[in-house]
Amino acid sequence: MAEVVFSSWGRSIVDNRKGGETKAASFKLPVTYDGEKPLSAFIGWDGIILYNKDVDIPAMVAEYMKRVQTRYVCGKCTPGKKGTRVMMDALLGIVEGRGSERDLDTILDLGEVLKHAKCTLCPSSSVPVIDAVTHFRDAFLNYIRGAKSLSSEFRYIEKYTAPCMDKCPAHIDIPAYIEAVKDYRFGDSLATIRDSMPLPSVCGRVCPHPCETACRRKNVDESISIMTLKRSASDYEWQHGHLPPMVPKAKKAKKVAVVGAGPAGLAAAYYLALEGYPVTIYEALPLGGGMVAVGIPPYRQPRHLLQRDIDIISALGVEIIYNTRVGKDVTLDELRAKFDAVFLAPGAHRSKPMGVEGEDKGYKGFLTGGIDFLRNVYLGLPTGMGKKVFVVGGGNTAIDCVRVALREGAEESVLVYRRSRKEMPADIWEVDGADDEGVRFEFQVLPTRVVANDANEVVGVELIRMAMGEPDASGRRRPEPVPGSEFIIECDTIIPAIGQDADLSFIPAEANIDTTKWSTIVTKYVPLKGADGKGLKDGMGNELSRTLITNCDGVFAGGDAEIGPLTVVACVGSGHRAANVIARYLEGQGISLTDSERMEDILSYLGVYDKNEPVAWLDSASREHQGEIHGKERASYKNYCEVELGFANSQAVREAERCLRCYRVAMIAV
Amino acid sequence: MVSLTIDGKSVQVEVGSTILEAAAKVDIKIPTLCWLQKVSPTGACRVCAVEIEGVDRTMTACNTPVKEGISVTTNSPALQVMRRKIMELMLVNHPLDCPVCDAGGECDLQDACYEQKASKQEYSALLERRPIRYDWPLIESDPNRCILCEKCVKVDHEVVGCDAIAVVNKGEATIIDTVDGKPLNCDFCGNCVAACPTGALITKPFKFKGRPWSFTKVQSICAFCGNGCQIEYHAKDGRVARVTSEDDTFNNGNLCINGRFGYSYLTSSDRLTAPMLRGQNGTLAVTDWNSAMSSASGKLKEIIARDGAAAVAGLGSPRLTNEESFLFQKFLRAGVGTNNIDSEARLGYAQAQAQMLRRFGFSGASQTIDKIDDAQAIIVFGSDLGAEATGTEYRVIKAATKRDARLIVVNMRDVKLKKFANANLKNLPGRELALIYGLMKALVESGAALPAGSEAIKKELSALSMADLAQECGVTEAALSDAAALIAGKSRVAIIFGTDLIRSKDAATKIAALADLAVLTGSAGEGGGGIFPIHPKTNTVGLLDMGVAPDSLPGLQELAQGAPFAQSWGAKVPSAPGKDLWGIIEGIEQGSIKALYLLGCDLTTLPENARIKKALAKLELLIVQDIFQGESLEFAHVVFPAAAAAEKSGSFTSNDNRVQQIFKSVNPPGAAKADWDIISNLYSHLTSSVQQGAPAQVMQEIKELSKSYQAHHSGKGIVKPAAKAKGEPGFAPVSKAVAAALPRFQLLVGQIGFHSGTSTTRSANNLTVSPTGYIELHSTDALALGVVDGGTLKVSSGLGAVTAPAKISDALQPGLLFAPTHFKELNVNSLLMGNCNLVEVKVEKV
Repeated sequence: MAEVVFSSWGRSIVDNRKGGETKAASFKLPVTYDGEKPLSAFIGWDGIILYNKDVDIPAMVAEYMKRVQTRYVCGKCTPGKKGTRVMMDALLGIVEGRGSERDLDTILDLGEVLKHAKCTLCPSSSVPVIDAVTHFRDAFLNYIRGAKSLSSEFRYIEKYTAPCMDKCPAHIDIPAYIEAVKDYRFGDSLATIRDSMPLPSVCGRVCPHPCETACRRKNVDESISIMTLKRSASDYEWQHGHLPPMVPKAKKAKKVAVVGAGPAGLAAAYYLALEGYPVTIYEALPLGGGMVAVGIPPYRQPRHLLQRDIDIISALGVEIIYNTRVGKDVTLDELRAKFDAVFLAPGAHRSKPMGVEGEDKGYKGFLTGGIDFLRNVYLGLPTGMGKKVFVVGGGNTAIDCVRVALREGAEESVLVYRRSRKEMPADIWEVDGADDEGVRFEFQVLPTRVVANDANEVVGVELIRMAMGEPDASGRRRPEPVPGSEFIIECDTIIPAIGQDADLSFIPAEANIDTTKWSTIVTKYVPLKGADGKGLKDGMGNELSRTLITNCDGVFAGGDAEIGPLTVVACVGSGHRAANVIARYLEGQGISLTDSERMEDILSYLGVYDKNEPVAWLDSASREHQGEIHGKERASYKNYCEVELGFANSQAVREAERCLRCYRVAMIAV
Repeated sequence: MVSLTIDGKSVQVEVGSTILEAAAKVDIKIPTLCWLQKVSPTGACRVCAVEIEGVDRTMTACNTPVKEGISVTTNSPALQVMRRKIMELMLVNHPLDCPVCDAGGECDLQDACYEQKASKQEYSALLERRPIRYDWPLIESDPNRCILCEKCVKVDHEVVGCDAIAVVNKGEATIIDTVDGKPLNCDFCGNCVAACPTGALITKPFKFKGRPWSFTKVQSICAFCGNGCQIEYHAKDGRVARVTSEDDTFNNGNLCINGRFGYSYLTSSDRLTAPMLRGQNGTLAVTDWNSAMSSASGKLKEIIARDGAAAVAGLGSPRLTNEESFLFQKFLRAGVGTNNIDSEARLGYAQAQAQMLRRFGFSGASQTIDKIDDAQAIIVFGSDLGAEATGTEYRVIKAATKRDARLIVVNMRDVKLKKFANANLKNLPGRELALIYGLMKALVESGAALPAGSEAIKKELSALSMADLAQECGVTEAALSDAAALIAGKSRVAIIFGTDLIRSKDAATKIAALADLAVLTGSAGEGGGGIFPIHPKTNTVGLLDMGVAPDSLPGLQELAQGAPFAQSWGAKVPSAPGKDLWGIIEGIEQGSIKALYLLGCDLTTLPENARIKKALAKLELLIVQDIFQGESLEFAHVVFPAAAAAEKSGSFTSNDNRVQQIFKSVNPPGAAKADWDIISNLYSHLTSSVQQGAPAQVMQEIKELSKSYQAHHSGKGIVKPAAKAKGEPGFAPVSKAVAAALPRFQLLVGQIGFHSGTSTTRSANNLTVSPTGYIELHSTDALALGVVDGGTLKVSSGLGAVTAPAKISDALQPGLLFAPTHFKELNVNSLLMGNCNLVEVKVEKV
């Protein structure tokens, strides 16, 4: 177990330098940077973590402050611009043998002045410096007295981040795009978004916005409306008829095939196309957008705006071949032969079975799955839906089904879920939206049997009530059926919407591509381990730091089929990383992650947001809310008009002004 | 309302107010440095940080909204120390060149350091000097003096709508620079310089001209367009050295290149400085005022006696003050006895105004331009607004970007406002009528509630086919209905229209149709968004108000209402309409007009000027009264040198009816005199009476004879009340225009932002950024003609030909060329026929 020599992280001091009984401290950090080189020190906004006593702390913080000042300080406030410069010069002066003890006082004094800075970057960057001067004063004094560096050969790697940016699976530079909106620069804002998110109209509308759960403004009052501000930036370009400014680099010779024109495939294609690679996407459906097009209802994501995002990607030189299913119309081997790299992003479009009696009987009115129902609606195909619709499930797809059923003419639309309302995995605003439109909910019930008549038509469903059972080994209480509580609800349509997975049957066994029992594709990763020796995993239980190449040379995978069914934004992040890895692979650099990508993964494991951090700020500007159409009318027959209306631009600017711009810089020594 | 306590004082302010605003309400001054009211708050300097009870950090007053019940401390020992340290940090490596810095003496940084007692320096950093940008035109940037308050960048972006400068680089190396690092290339309004608190941005023409306190400052009104911006002349040694404007003016301190830099025309070597007479030998020679006056009046008397008063005519100018225009028409009507008086307003604005007056009962604009701030939607029709009335464009930008107004821009070329527009309707040249009908029809079809009485127009529109209209105007049906959706259901739709409509072919029909649209949108009505006709010249509204027109008396009164004038003036006032601009030219050609008094009107720069020059040569007497030597001098018998706006007093009426006083800053050059002085002198000579000409006395007379000017008094501008609104305006019948085939090439002649009329082509400052004329054409045409950017083009119409450098611009459309009207050397106006600013041309590569 890696021993901490010193730590001030989280504002509590662990100091094992003087010997004696070692105080333990553990942090969510890997013991190595890349599976090999040990992590010797980590410094940043919350202090210093020193694993190796040979790290020259004065030299490290001097270098840290130099990088902060010359690479990241925006220069847009006096203490930030000037204070960090004076601090940097003082630190460099000391380690270069020009320092005096007075410089240490100046540094401490500046630490106080920096608290008045405009944003978080400079004050948070002074934290490890102040900690160093406070707890490693002797090391500084040695320099001041003329000692040369003890120096060992450490490499420093820094990373600029922010809690929201870290939490966003696509790692969009959120504070930058919000600041641009604040400055009435919607075009610049969108350019920043596009650096990490080529489907801005989509993720400005339907993103579950995990970023907002990691917004420091939440520690003051409510989080910034990060998602809707993205929509403001995106809609501005469209509403003003501006042409997107992106210009791809000169065309390159090596070509890439992408399987699936969903968020992951489109994102990968976008970034590869910008690099100059000719990209061809093979799409099984007659339209692009993947699950956004056939899963998300148009009242949440207007199709013309999805199409606009796709058209912009196409305009960069990406060819999309529709109605072509890889594995059927063209084989993976053919793609491998024709292209220099193949990116698999087929998505997860296969409904999972419910496991109730009668579901496999082929009753009329029992639909194969929520996702199939939605797809048929959006493609204008017959759905088999009747008038009394019964949807099983608690996720967003289930909600989409009940709301779409209303718009498709259902007289009654019922959703049943085995747990309570607050445990539904669906986004809360989606559940509220369904409520608003007149959907009926049945909570804590489980379907047990499909009831059909002699004509093999669904006439109802038998349900059983659920109650919380005794806590299991993990302490979690699971819902259990209450014996004898069975009852029947009349209906003519049952739609199971309990999840979906990827159909990987297009991958031939001889391709030697590993898949999991959850029907996901296995990709390679950096073997990062924690202090306990266990491999580090991300929130989905996947390996933390993945390169997205499969076992098969030249074949990469991403999106829902690699991660497991997740979100648009996660798929975009995955597609973006894949594009970066593929580009390096095509340039003959092998398969590797950059320092920035490694640090991205390490920081996301550590967590940049601290919900317990006291954030001093006056809570006088409350969160803005976008306009919305309310009432049952919005769900009337075939009414797919957008329900949420976005911000007025002036409102967007007001909301953007609430942002605390929580940038910070972490640096490691390896 | 929100209640809070600041330094123990209770204050109530509107929700959303900042702490700074709340403090100002109870006269507590919180120090600021980067705060600029007219742009979004920056929070850069941190000087305004205050303490709030219960908040464990300081908050900046400039951008922190108030909260109910908070207790704010604006001054404490801790705050004083913090502010002093911040000033010390700001001074780290700040150059100590205050003695030679242009801002010395008016530097906010100096003041702030003094206020915060930053008398020593605790901090230091290695000195890095950033290069001074000497390579920018008109403006010089010294990043070393910059405190990064971002005012310049914000004014540039938010007010001017330019994106010329930006904050670039990181850390201590962060500076304000052009976005591409190249020399500055922008509108050159200099509003960034005005906003700069230090000497980081200075104007080159003013550099080293003197210490700020050594100038005599005179408040006045800018004389370069009809926007009526309030300015200050700074003069020393008889010369205007700079022009500024304070943020508390009507125009928020914002000017354009002409307002800020155009003053250098005052010292042009082209200025007329002495009276001249054409001698026996046929050449003009300098003379004294008395001889010139006697000659002019003697000759006039002779012609009147011989041929009658109708043989005399006069053309006035929007350059003149109200008082001077009044005197001029009085001279012609009462002194000479003719209504042969007109001006260049006849090229279109006068007729447009007459139509608005007839339809809606107002002259000028229906509201003042600050009401544009409140518009929910704005239509800018046929105007490159930035080139015609920059200050009005600033208002539109503000409404569209900060106040959520929807913007529709209609023009045959892309204008600057396009980037702010929600709909940019680019019509085929000359096809505005179909576009207006198309927009009206789309509005009707949108199902939006329309005002009472619109049934008739609906019916008439229903006879038109949307597809036909769309095809005719070159804008798709979808674009028309998208645009209509932006105004549908809005109660405050502002309609702004300018020269590209006013001087188009069949302008009367088009303006009638636009007025119909205004009825549908309720723009003209009470509580509506307003109608704003734009004329690019200074005092056109005042000129017409003063009766410089063949058919109306001062106060826009009809000739039949001449009795009070006759009584006041003790002279007969002719009741038959006189000849208008083109009538006067025809009269000269036919020999019925023998004497012409050109008052600030250089006829040789108007359309058809080859014909005009021929006519001028036939005159028995041509009096030219002007500030510059123009081509008219060739034909003049008597020349009176006049004073420019900075050299005299009086009043101007803006496009939106604000009557504002101008004041004399410097003396006119040589023997030149104010126009009012010259006219009254000539009047005295002609009538052998004593004529009062002093502006104050003339204004008194104006007020007596023109009710609308009675509210006017000295000081800040007073809005002249619009004439009584007539009842419900009806609709003009839809006229079926026959769209002829489009000519292969048409040339549009118009204003550009870098100049105002011809006067700034004598301003050395303006000439540094826009030295010569050119002809713009679309890239497809350039390709077809084999012309490259900078190559030479020959453009000819039925009236002549000009040769000029080509400039390729896709702001145009295929088949459309554009040339600036300003440059008399290029004389593109000679290609124009009548009033229309669009003419069919042949284009050749030279």
